[in-house]
Amino acid sequence: MSKRAAIAGLCLLVLVGAIALSLAIGARSIDLETVWHALTAFDPSDKDQLIVRTTRVSRTVIGVLAGAALGVAGALMQSLTRNPFADPGLLGINAGASLAVVIALSTGLATGFAAQVPVAFVGAGLAAILVYAIGARGAAAGAPVRLALAGVALTALLTSITYAVLMVNESTLDQYRMWVAGSLTGRQAEDVLPLIPIVLVAILAALIASRQLEAVALGEDAARALGVNIAAIRTVIIVLVTLLAAAATAAAGPIVFVGLAVPHLARALIGASLPWLVVVSAFGGAALVLLCDVVGRVVAPPGEIGVGITTAFIGGIIFALMARRMKVVEL
Amino acid sequence: MRILRIGPLGISTHRRTFAVGLVLLAALAALLVFALMQGQSDISILDSIRAAVGISVGPPADFIVGQVRAPRALTAVLVGAMLGVSGAILQSLTRNPLASPDFIGISMGAGAGAVMTIWLIGATSLWVTAAGAIVGALATAALILALSWRRGIVPLRLILAGIGIGFVAQSLSQYALTRMDVHDAGNALGWLVGSVTGRTWTHVTVCAVILAALLPVVLWHARALRTMEMGDDAARALGVRVGLSRSILAVCSVLLAAGAVAVTGPIGFIALVAPAIALRLTRNAGVTLLPSALMGALLLLAADQVAQAMPATLQLPVGVFTAAVGAPYLMWLVWRASRGGPS
Repeated sequence: MSKRAAIAGLCLLVLVGAIALSLAIGARSIDLETVWHALTAFDPSDKDQLIVRTTRVSRTVIGVLAGAALGVAGALMQSLTRNPFADPGLLGINAGASLAVVIALSTGLATGFAAQVPVAFVGAGLAAILVYAIGARGAAAGAPVRLALAGVALTALLTSITYAVLMVNESTLDQYRMWVAGSLTGRQAEDVLPLIPIVLVAILAALIASRQLEAVALGEDAARALGVNIAAIRTVIIVLVTLLAAAATAAAGPIVFVGLAVPHLARALIGASLPWLVVVSAFGGAALVLLCDVVGRVVAPPGEIGVGITTAFIGGIIFALMARRMKVVEL
Repeated sequence: MRILRIGPLGISTHRRTFAVGLVLLAALAALLVFALMQGQSDISILDSIRAAVGISVGPPADFIVGQVRAPRALTAVLVGAMLGVSGAILQSLTRNPLASPDFIGISMGAGAGAVMTIWLIGATSLWVTAAGAIVGALATAALILALSWRRGIVPLRLILAGIGIGFVAQSLSQYALTRMDVHDAGNALGWLVGSVTGRTWTHVTVCAVILAALLPVVLWHARALRTMEMGDDAARALGVRVGLSRSILAVCSVLLAAGAVAVTGPIGFIALVAPAIALRLTRNAGVTLLPSALMGALLLLAADQVAQAMPATLQLPVGVFTAAVGAPYLMWLVWRASRGGPS
């Protein structure tokens, strides 16, 4: 117990460090003392402090929000499907959000980022509901696998529609390609304000439901013997994953890999206890997104690389190496 | 007892497979002729066949059929066949009817190669971009094979390594997309979906050479493939060198997919759907390579006819249409499976 608490505390420390870096590093490096003053004793005449208050705080808040949501969503998803390679993106969430944003852009319904947040959230949610309706009908054994397949199929369908719209509409493509790169720039914390309570409540609910999900992960017979309502707990978890992943995508654009890798690494650190896994995945996800964002800010000056691109690039390499080291029983 | 039952079953499926193959071949030939005749200007059946095989019949048909329609249709046929065989091998090796080269990163690699080329060099010609796609496809194929090679290839590791490399390739495409001119970005999107528009006889030759080189190797190992479906131990007992055959077949599957996406960009779902339909038609217990090839060719050629029949404002790459049909088919399979309990 105390060892786990120590690990969780360590992860929190890493997150605090990542937040400090995210506030300090960028096109204009600002020392931590100035950052501290900007937060505690703000002096509007100081240009550096102004940068921290106006842009850096916003992107840090959005990064923490999206990263924590994705980390927890991934932990829940992997426990639910009993598949260490499951990712919330499997529910078609990224593709649904992308198509919704593209439709809103091409019809002129949502031009600014503030208007794109609810659109992306609704699109992501609808896609996940559709995947769930197709893949988990009857809740028979093996449902999680079908869920993943339905997600792959819907993702392909929605992506091809998205491309079709983009190819006949160049100005939409121009705006969309920036959104899809998953960048934290140019986004204000106020725009994502409604998402913060959603994410907080969902993480809290995940903590409460995690004991029962653990019982389901033991096997359906064991769970039934323990008196757990399997169908109900599955539905609750899917709703939570949908809310968390949709909120993350709405806030920061499609970010792959965080939901996949963070719970994986967290499990290696802290073991299979789901409540602790949720806590560590929240801290770790937030830290990973912030660090990837910081890397994206400094590797290609004077421009920046969106956090969705850096996470996919770094994450993909780690994933492939992980697959190589994995002990696979010959199929 | 079991062995006795396999004998007659083997003979009956063989006959049916042969018949299905003939029907598919006839349908493919008919659709090919239709593809040559049909379009903005209609050309008579005899003229189009003559023009396609290189006999001069006069100015419009010589160019329209000989230089535009015939290479485009034949590219669709050959790429469809390559995808069909590639998917059939992968599905048989992984014993998973839903495995597909679409999901193992080579498509994304070819797309990334093409998009990076457009970004760095500019969309100067189809050839330069296609060269980028070939480099991208081969580089990812080599990377995936190298990453999954540890004393032979284990299919599951191949797929997982492919997913990871796919992430990397996709991130490169997206980065390039945000950096290039909007007009080029529209052009680049075409390479992320897959298209047979504007393909020439050289593309046809490239496909034909790849198929001619790899198909005999695949067919040579077809018996091993079918035997391995019964389990590694059974296959070993029947004298199959499991590790060697599996590695050769996996490499062939990857190379066929790489060749296909290098020529057309990633066309989704053909590799997934064609072997499934072929299995259903032949009612075979195991993998059916040639019917899968014919089915893939038929599907892609048909999808391209639909793509060409769309009005001028909706001229979209054929990959959009294969996904629009293939994805609901996959969803329907999943839907049916969840009604019928565990499948």
